Amino acid sequence: MSRAEIFNNIEMKPKEYKSEVSPVWCPGCGDYGVLNSTYRALSELGIHPKDFVSVSGIGCSSRLPYFVKGYKMHTLHGRAGAVATGTQLANPSLSVMVAGGDGDGFSIGGGHMPHMARKNVDMVYVLMDNGIYGLTKGQSSPTTRKEMPAYITPYGGVEEPLDPVMYMLTYGATYVAQAFAGNPKMCAALIKGAIEHKGFAYVNIFSQCPTFNKIDTAKYYRGLVEDLSEDHDPTDMDQAIAVARRPNGKAPVGLIYKEDRYTLCDEMKRLVDLVGGSPDYDTQKIIDAHIP
Amino acid sequence: MSEKRDLTIRVAGEGGEGVVSTGDFMTAACARAGLEVYTFKTFPAEVKGGYCMFQMRTSDEPVYNQGDNFDVFVAFNGEAFELNKHLLKPGTVLVWDGPGGDFEPEIPEGVISYAVPMTKTSKDLGSYRSKNMVALGAVSTLFNVHEATLIEVLTDKFKKKGDEVLDFALKSFEAGKALGLEHEKTDPYAIVEGKEGRDNIVIAGNEACGLGAILGGLEFFSAYPITPATEVAKYVSAHIPKTGGTLIQAEDEIASLAQVLGASYAGKRSMTSTSGPGLALMSELIGMATMSETPALIIDVQRGGPSTGLPTKHEQSDLFLAVHGGHGDSPRIVMSVEDVKDCIHMTAQALNVAEKYQSPVVLCSDGSLAFSTQTVERPKPSDFEIVNRKRWDGEGEYKRYEFTDDNISMMCDPGVEGGEHVATGLEHTETGAPNFTPEWHIKNADKRFNKLKPLADDLGPQEVDGDRDEEVDVGIITWGSTIGVVREAIQRLRAEGVKVKGFYPKLMYPMPVKEYEEFASKCKKVLVPEVNYQGQLAFFIRAETSLDPISYTICGGLPFNPAQIVDKVKEINS
Repeated sequence: MSRAEIFNNIEMKPKEYKSEVSPVWCPGCGDYGVLNSTYRALSELGIHPKDFVSVSGIGCSSRLPYFVKGYKMHTLHGRAGAVATGTQLANPSLSVMVAGGDGDGFSIGGGHMPHMARKNVDMVYVLMDNGIYGLTKGQSSPTTRKEMPAYITPYGGVEEPLDPVMYMLTYGATYVAQAFAGNPKMCAALIKGAIEHKGFAYVNIFSQCPTFNKIDTAKYYRGLVEDLSEDHDPTDMDQAIAVARRPNGKAPVGLIYKEDRYTLCDEMKRLVDLVGGSPDYDTQKIIDAHIP
Repeated sequence: MSEKRDLTIRVAGEGGEGVVSTGDFMTAACARAGLEVYTFKTFPAEVKGGYCMFQMRTSDEPVYNQGDNFDVFVAFNGEAFELNKHLLKPGTVLVWDGPGGDFEPEIPEGVISYAVPMTKTSKDLGSYRSKNMVALGAVSTLFNVHEATLIEVLTDKFKKKGDEVLDFALKSFEAGKALGLEHEKTDPYAIVEGKEGRDNIVIAGNEACGLGAILGGLEFFSAYPITPATEVAKYVSAHIPKTGGTLIQAEDEIASLAQVLGASYAGKRSMTSTSGPGLALMSELIGMATMSETPALIIDVQRGGPSTGLPTKHEQSDLFLAVHGGHGDSPRIVMSVEDVKDCIHMTAQALNVAEKYQSPVVLCSDGSLAFSTQTVERPKPSDFEIVNRKRWDGEGEYKRYEFTDDNISMMCDPGVEGGEHVATGLEHTETGAPNFTPEWHIKNADKRFNKLKPLADDLGPQEVDGDRDEEVDVGIITWGSTIGVVREAIQRLRAEGVKVKGFYPKLMYPMPVKEYEEFASKCKKVLVPEVNYQGQLAFFIRAETSLDPISYTICGGLPFNPAQIVDKVKEINS
């Protein structure tokens, strides 16, 4: 089965993608919006749950796979992307999605981010950015704003946050989008586009944590974001960088960047073709090269 | 000396002078002539230059280790001489670069010396780069490195580079031969005739692990460079595309094992290779493989530690880490190889074991095997049985972690309808749903440990060197490449009338406790030699069995030699 054949394979309503496990998130958590958007994207694409693999690390948002029908791996803190890379390469016909948070992705897992992007691993990474470690009760994360006191920074932050979108653009991701969980329609459209995209698709979603992040509220995010202008050309890296830098202080939402580039999977296949590889290869030839 | 069947030649000099290629040519010629070979080399941690050594031991009988000492030492420069002169015992031979080299050795008492002007002759011929060919010519004629075969080997090697290169190499070789013939031979050393009908290959330990992986049906490899393990990945990278498989280089060892687990989850036979520092980084993911019951093979080519330690040196000091590295109660399978043959066959076997038991498997090799080339009976692909994981047959309701009689649940590859499930690092119920109650944690801990219990029987009895029922004075238990050293020590001790036998476990964990106890019940004393400071195997033996063995450890960055074991046995037996 090829990757293209997994689309439009089944008619399922968004709610039919709900698994038997119910979400355990706090009321008002932005992750509900992301989850519902994921259901909607899968439904619109007609992907059978058997062909969908969601992979996560540790954190509130990393519980998302449990709530979606399909195959899933709940892995270690920071390692979801690396695990998912293996899954994607092992079976390129699957639709592989990583779900995680800002701490999982950009702190402990930060070492993996550049490589998934530059290698253009053919999968989706949905990062629910709430600017806090929620599961461990409110420590500052790589996207926490400096002015906010947190669990082990009671006098306020001592360091600058990073901007995930700027990183992913420079790391070489071939699909970079940003959205706010409070706009599930846009989230669903961008996740859908990410799943369809051939290559590494990164979707940064501002997803408020009403329990531990008292300054990045839904209201704050609503005021922070600004739709990309209609003449934004996502194939132009210069434009993508320019808007990502937030020249007017607003965070752009929509499809910021998109590029068609060979994927890691394409390259693996090229190597096999280059040597005429097949599982029927006579390995005696490899052995006999060692006859003295 | 007439019964001496084996000969050991050491060549040493500056990296880049052709020390290793000299050794490789001799090795290939001996193996082609029907002899057994066992080589051993050390090389500098630096990229260019530095001291470099190659040692070849050859015989018409099986060779189990690098031997006690060389018989013949070929010094390419003064540094090599200085570093080895303490090993020049009476009766050994020194072949040295002179006159015209960079040193003038003071010949130790009783050492036979042949001066061969390697540098000068090669310069006179037109290129310093043929110094090793001059040396090879002299050595071949002095010690009967079978000349016709050697010329065949050289021709095969150099003809690819053009006639000019080949002619020059052969001319230098001939010049060296002439220099060798100028000496009146006063030593007894000559390589014996080989045996007809041997069907051997010659391969180094790391390459052999790669070959074993390919023959064992490997489909996915994720690599990260580390000395002394990188050649495993190098070998696999060259060959795995031929069988349609995938090798990628990861960003670190954590990602390597993470990718392996992801690929294994998707149904592929998957592995990585590393050394101690990488294995340490992988510890958390080994625990995840245990918890999520995901098959994975990790080859650990051990080196000297802790920390960056002695990256290019030999040590057997990762047993604690391999067995217990990681948090929580995290059972895994640990096996270890004795020699290059095991590197092939046990790598393939370890892939099967990982699949069958849905478990991480750590297969320990070590720095002395990594680059050691040995003759191994030529394998056939049909020798390798492929055992795959138990897969769901599509009947009934699928539960990933279902309790079964053998504690092994069915796996199901993504893409199969009805098999959708979560594989998880959290404690869970049969379906994989998170569950942290005492009931489920206890039941699953039992499952994870109990499922490995049949492994020892499944693999068959571990080897006893000697009659299982014979009562002896000293029993030697050892592991890894030290086994080869002990084999020879035991032969020598028996020849002297000492009552001794050996036990050579290759399944390190879970320990086949009963076999240890049965072996020891026939031994008055038990000795455990191993190359690490703490006596790591001896520690496990004390912890898990009723034995209290005598631990014998060295940790100087080099393997044991048989004489050390012989001496120790005599010491404890007196």
